Amino acid sequence: MIGNAFQETPRANAVAALQVAEASFAYGAEPALTGIDFAVLPGQAVALIGPNGSGKSTLLKGVLGLITRTSGTVEVLGQWPAPAGYIGYVPQTDQLDPHFPVSLEQVVMMGRFRSLGWWRLPSKADHRAVAEALETVDLSARARTRFGELSGGQQQRGLLARAVASAPRLLLLDEPFNGLDQINRDALIETVKRLKQQGVAVLVSTHDLDLARAVCESVLLLNGAQVAFGPRDEVLTLANVQQAFGSVGVEMDEHTIVVPGHGGH
Amino acid sequence: MGYFEQALLAAVLIGALSGLVGTLVVLRQRTFFAQALTHATFPGAVGAAILGVSIPLGAAIASLFIVGIMTMIGRINRQGNQVASGILLTAGFALGVLLQGLNPSLPVKVDSYLVGSILTVTSNDVTLVAVVLAFAVLVIVFLGKQIVFSTFDANGYRAAGYREWPIELLTLVLITATVVTAMPAVGAILAIALIAAPAAAARIVSRTTTQMFVIAPVLGAVSGLVGVLLSRSLDVAAGPAIALAAAGLFMLALVLQRLAGTVRAAHEADARRALRRSLRLKA
Amino acid sequence: MDVFTPLITAFDLPFMARALLVLVVLSLVAGLVGVLVNLRGLEFISDGLTHAVFPGVAIGFVWGGRDGLFVGAMAAALIAAVVLTVIVKRAVTSDAAIAVVFTAMFSVGIIVVSRETNYVGQLDALLFGRLLTVSPAEVNQTVIVCLIALIMVGFTLKEQVFRAFDREGTVAAGYRPLALDIVLNVAIALVVVAASSAVGNLLVLAVLIVPGAVARLVTNRLWLLFPVAAGFAIVAAWVGLALGYEASVNGGVDLPSGATVVLVLVAGYGMALVARLALDRIGGHHRTRRAVGQLAEPVVH
Repeated sequence: MIGNAFQETPRANAVAALQVAEASFAYGAEPALTGIDFAVLPGQAVALIGPNGSGKSTLLKGVLGLITRTSGTVEVLGQWPAPAGYIGYVPQTDQLDPHFPVSLEQVVMMGRFRSLGWWRLPSKADHRAVAEALETVDLSARARTRFGELSGGQQQRGLLARAVASAPRLLLLDEPFNGLDQINRDALIETVKRLKQQGVAVLVSTHDLDLARAVCESVLLLNGAQVAFGPRDEVLTLANVQQAFGSVGVEMDEHTIVVPGHGGH
Repeated sequence: MGYFEQALLAAVLIGALSGLVGTLVVLRQRTFFAQALTHATFPGAVGAAILGVSIPLGAAIASLFIVGIMTMIGRINRQGNQVASGILLTAGFALGVLLQGLNPSLPVKVDSYLVGSILTVTSNDVTLVAVVLAFAVLVIVFLGKQIVFSTFDANGYRAAGYREWPIELLTLVLITATVVTAMPAVGAILAIALIAAPAAAARIVSRTTTQMFVIAPVLGAVSGLVGVLLSRSLDVAAGPAIALAAAGLFMLALVLQRLAGTVRAAHEADARRALRRSLRLKA
Repeated sequence: MDVFTPLITAFDLPFMARALLVLVVLSLVAGLVGVLVNLRGLEFISDGLTHAVFPGVAIGFVWGGRDGLFVGAMAAALIAAVVLTVIVKRAVTSDAAIAVVFTAMFSVGIIVVSRETNYVGQLDALLFGRLLTVSPAEVNQTVIVCLIALIMVGFTLKEQVFRAFDREGTVAAGYRPLALDIVLNVAIALVVVAASSAVGNLLVLAVLIVPGAVARLVTNRLWLLFPVAAGFAIVAAWVGLALGYEASVNGGVDLPSGATVVLVLVAGYGMALVARLALDRIGGHHRTRRAVGQLAEPVVH
């Protein structure tokens, strides 16, 4: 179960949940991301910030082992490849068929399949893990609803529950706030905070500075290469942001980064 | 005109028409729809033969019903277009088989609907194809731009103030007319080869849709011609020969694309090496 | 005319009982594989596979008679399944490419059969099936092939559903969609082989897609889809066979049995369709239909 394994607060010299050292990634022969060097400790969250096409999704895929790493190392809890179930991944919801005949709890159960193996059916323990995951994202009341009938925000939280159901140590979120209303954003923030308290490490790519400020201790600025990494307030300076977004006209306020000609970022 | 020359002419015209309209099919990703139509119109042909009326007419009337039902099923959320095409394909064809089984003394024309018989096309058939081809050419020439626009960017098309249903209707009419008039060449079962292969090959070698609209009919006509000639010299049925000729052109296009790709990759590698060398010299 | 007695008495005859057994086994597999075909939108690939199996059937028949038929069909089915999976994965115009490949294969089959003029009459049987003349050996073949398909799909069932729902998610979880696709496509190919001898190569598609489509109309609950599809197929097979028998024995009308079963399946689909539309209208569901804009959309796998 999720709660039991992580009773102690993370210590400063704990093994990093994710350690990326001098890594570069490529799609086939095309280099996509270079010079990545950072770490995420258990119970901490890192925000991945950068303009469109800067490599945020690429980095997440690189951590999942889905694309080629051309140099450097990636280690999840000191191991590579990451053992099955260590990483939970929450993609964006727009690829899914809204008419698929599957309920929310069945979708969350999909997160348990890997640990089940091929031909075994879910056990009571699996059902309990699914119920807890739904609790964590505050969607227990909608467990039997067809997934496609949920709102966009609820679907996003449902996919988060799926990622959480396998009790991962490292959680990757790909732009989780896109298209979410305020209620769902707040719910998502609460969920991530709860998971951090349980010792889960979080890496979240986002455009939204509210999310970064509410949840993340550190920030990684990207633009095809690493621009800066470190404690949030040290990294999120106007100069760094302008460098990452490649434009002197970029401005930054409390909530968003404003790129000239592109509106809020 | 001798029967063989007539067959050659028919094959060239049908090939060109199939290539031209096939471009629309491939661009709008309606291959399964076209395939379903080729099979589902079979009962129309059988019915026409039983009643003693023209077979293309029977097929055309059947296709009205078929497209209507397919559209309706396609709009239901739990079903969709794949299901609609599949159901109509199999239902129509089974109905045709049933009707044929109940009327064993039907003229041979019905069998030829299935497997094609280009060597026995009449001059009426050829005229019909020529008319449909002329119509298709006019549509592409005058409305080609709108068709391409609506195909690639339906939202942008609507935003620009156009309505989509006329284009949709027009392409459906063209595809149906092609299917109905092209049956004599390759038959219902293999018609999709002539519709899909030349257009798919054209897509591989073309860089613009205009090129596709020109190259596909040419490839289609060549397939028809080569197929009929091969069928005579190798003494095989014309329908499969034409289908294989079309498929062969498609394979050829794939091979050429591969070769062009490796040549291009080699050139790019050379260019990169040269650039690196010049940078090193500068530094 | 008594409607219900033939449903039982027709099957006293051994050849009818064999035909029913073949269809029941096919229905069970169609229930499983057919639902996955529906969830994945593989109707077109299934059509491709049915056409691609034909040259194997034709060549096998020419070389080895009715025994060679089966071997040829299996070989062609397995090759086609792998080739089609790879094409879908790699080709840009994958639907056109599939159409080209399978019609090329079908053409080869027609040429092979047409060259052997003694077998032209047999082409009919290959294309339209010989449901009422299956031998006990053929029943065994069908059962074994169907069992293999059942095991392959049953073993990977929950992963197939996962992949059908969220391909990217399965990749992130560490599965390989290509492997799952090959397993499913091979299972479909096996069903095609098994069903070809029953309802004929040209009508196999009905067995693969109608039960799944009906199940979707009946229910939105995932695990109910499979038994509903299988049950519907069994009932349709039963009614179709009895209908053909009754028409032939008491009505003097000789209905081709394969086509009759398919038409009963389709009639059942029609009834389910009408019922679903009526239920939704009564229940006030306005979300049954999608918006008018484009009438048909591209295929998504």
